[in-house]
Amino acid sequence: MKTPGLRFLGIALVVILGIWAGLKFHAGQRAPDAGVPVPAGVAGAPDPKEAAELAAAAPRPVIPAKLPDFSLKDLSGKPVSVESWSGRSLVINFWATWCAPCRREIPLLKTLAANWEGRDLAIVGIAVDYPDKVRAFAQQFKIDYPVLTGEQDALDLAAKFGMTSPALPFTVFTDRRGEVVALFVGELHRPQADFILSEVQSLNDERIGLPQARRAIAEGLEAMANKHSG
Amino acid sequence: MVGFFLIALLLGAAGTALAKPWWMRGIDSNETDFLPPDVAFRVAARIDGDVLKVRWVIADGYYLYRQKIEVKAESPDLVVATPVLPPGVVKTDPYLGTQQVYMQQVEAAVPYSRLDAGAHPVQIKVTYQGCAEAGLCYPPITKVVFPTAGSSPVAVSVPPYPWEGIAIIGGACAFLLAGWVLRKGRKLDIPS
Repeated sequence: MKTPGLRFLGIALVVILGIWAGLKFHAGQRAPDAGVPVPAGVAGAPDPKEAAELAAAAPRPVIPAKLPDFSLKDLSGKPVSVESWSGRSLVINFWATWCAPCRREIPLLKTLAANWEGRDLAIVGIAVDYPDKVRAFAQQFKIDYPVLTGEQDALDLAAKFGMTSPALPFTVFTDRRGEVVALFVGELHRPQADFILSEVQSLNDERIGLPQARRAIAEGLEAMANKHSG
Repeated sequence: MVGFFLIALLLGAAGTALAKPWWMRGIDSNETDFLPPDVAFRVAARIDGDVLKVRWVIADGYYLYRQKIEVKAESPDLVVATPVLPPGVVKTDPYLGTQQVYMQQVEAAVPYSRLDAGAHPVQIKVTYQGCAEAGLCYPPITKVVFPTAGSSPVAVSVPPYPWEGIAIIGGACAFLLAGWVLRKGRKLDIPS
């Protein structure tokens, strides 16, 4: 009787220890940002996992099919409507003077403006910033394409492109009918810009349709990313 | 355990390979691999004697600018001094110059005094601004923060590693104990 009792006790002990160790290990694995203290119980500091789940569950803002009508002030303070570029493809770059990647994009945008001059494409900068800062910056960096500025009105416009949680830079590409062909979030580089613009040109020349252009851009960017990461 | 980690590593590698790169964006949805700003930068504060400790936890691949951090009093009876910040990492950008930035986390010490202690809860307004290394910046973020009382850190840290060690040792002890219990009372049947 003694041996089966001890045997049962031993097995039970193993099971209990195993469950306990497993639970503890699991709890450790679930700890957010293991090893990094996580602020808790403070307004505006959501649990990261909860926040990520909320972000994933929230309906994704859909980018408008057509360029929304808008008007913002230029560097001289004069209101300019997007209608000014009606009939032309647009590269609308949202940026700010305090944003390093935005600043890094300026030479590329200047090059694109020069390369496409006299053709049916315009580069438009929209600075989400204070006008005096933008003016000084535009002079210093010799920005030669049109720049519009705005604060809350520019943020409202960004939200119309689905950028409800503002982040810069991002760039909107449209065809000459004002259809949104691509939206590129983050710093734009030459290969991606050239590729998207070649698809926009194919669309403008009616060699492909809008769905094909969008699909080609999505697939092309993915292939470029894979090549880059590989 | 090694197998477990190998699988975890393989799954992690597969996940990374399958994840869309940060600059591949769908047109129909605003899909982005960038974190929302409140996930990239998390802020909390605690009262530590006559100093408020404001801590930011910064996601991997993101950074905060030292120069853009501000802490101001929000409660009417609160007076806060200029935050004392540790030196940051020097980051030089050809288009933005040299800046000090923080990665992973930073804690500001903010000496404070109260004109009418206890009349109002302590509230501060913090402003900060940061970017993702991958080429995206967030506008300055301003938040009202309620520092928690007590000198013990509000930050909760549950590193998995000690439990992992306990699990290994516990498992090994249980195995040996079970072996000893099961073997006890038995005689080895050794042919003579």
